[in-house]
Amino acid sequence: MSAVRTFAVTLTIPDNEAFTAYETLARLGIPVGRLVRADVWQFETDGGVEDLATTVGSFETIFNPNKHRLVERPSDRPEPGEVWIASRDEAPATRVAGRPIPGVRAIRRRTSWRLLDESGADVPPDVRARAVETFLCNPAFQVAIL
Amino acid sequence: MSARVAVPVFPGTNSEDETVRALHAVGLDAALVHWSRPEELERFDAFVLPGGFAYEDRVRAGAVAAHDALMRPVIAAAQAGRFVLGICNGAQILAEAGLVPGDGPVGRPTAAFAPNAGGRFRSVHVHVRLTVPPARLPILGGLTAGALFPAWAAHGDGRLAAPPEELDRIRQGGHLAFVYADREGRPVAAPNGSALDAAALCNATGTVLAIMPHPERDAWTFQHLGAERAAVHGDTAAILAPSGGIAFFAAFARALGAGVAA
Repeated sequence: MSAVRTFAVTLTIPDNEAFTAYETLARLGIPVGRLVRADVWQFETDGGVEDLATTVGSFETIFNPNKHRLVERPSDRPEPGEVWIASRDEAPATRVAGRPIPGVRAIRRRTSWRLLDESGADVPPDVRARAVETFLCNPAFQVAIL
Repeated sequence: MSARVAVPVFPGTNSEDETVRALHAVGLDAALVHWSRPEELERFDAFVLPGGFAYEDRVRAGAVAAHDALMRPVIAAAQAGRFVLGICNGAQILAEAGLVPGDGPVGRPTAAFAPNAGGRFRSVHVHVRLTVPPARLPILGGLTAGALFPAWAAHGDGRLAAPPEELDRIRQGGHLAFVYADREGRPVAAPNGSALDAAALCNATGTVLAIMPHPERDAWTFQHLGAERAAVHGDTAAILAPSGGIAFFAAFARALGAGVAA
């Protein structure tokens, strides 16, 4: 029986990419207080893959303990307020850094964005939609997953 | 007086000097413009966005730069019909700004130079062949049908990607300016999986051109590898002689009415 297991990797150091995105949104007149970015990795498995979190955490291309936090998500969908940007025509990978993971059939990577206002609450959906449509997602080859 | 050509420099641009050198070699009055001085762009006649990794390719290649203040005068100039050439990262910026193929509003891209098929950076010597009638591309003057140029493809995000209906518009609207070819001009598969084997796109008027491979990296013989360079070993004049890529810039200079010597 197949299952999708989802991991989020966030930076524990300042995220320059998120800050640049924040500055660009400000330039576009889209009011955001802060952006939180994460790399989301999804592993389609044959079922009972033991200790996948440890295996995932062993890949330096995914997780560096000096600057990252690795968390397994309970759902394979974005959390409320979050948007994932994925490649529309992405062929799932079967390896990470050239190495297969036993029991893993497909690997997909998304970028998670969470847009917060000055108080730390999620921005209204229309603000998030503007940010996605004008900057965070290029619909020519990407799709936004809400 | 020679046309004045601006080469805008974003944080992370890395091909600006060789681009200016190629422009000077064909008689153009080219100058770098730093990202902190967008107002300086007002005094230029044409623009060449060079290669590199503007803003470290954060969010997407070209996405942040496309909305940078430095692009406002460039976009305004493009809309006024002035010539805008983008090379590699410059091409990605033009696509993200919606200037090529230019089917939608500015700032809303309808196509992209997306991550290469296989996800890897490719650095390979290529040739690109003109696929539109020369008159369709006024940004390059004096070309013959099927004109062929050598260049270096060096990018991680050079694969033309767009929905099928947009690819139809690109093909039928004459936006597919150059495709990858071999040294005889025969079509070859794009090294990056690019749709339509596209190497370059232009806008509806042929005044904006976005080309992924670098002609400025095959502008002099010393930039060649292997046998061609070995053949001129010890011959300084031959080593410093212009090579095929300079013809691309010569065509740009002709379009601007400049004298072309190289």
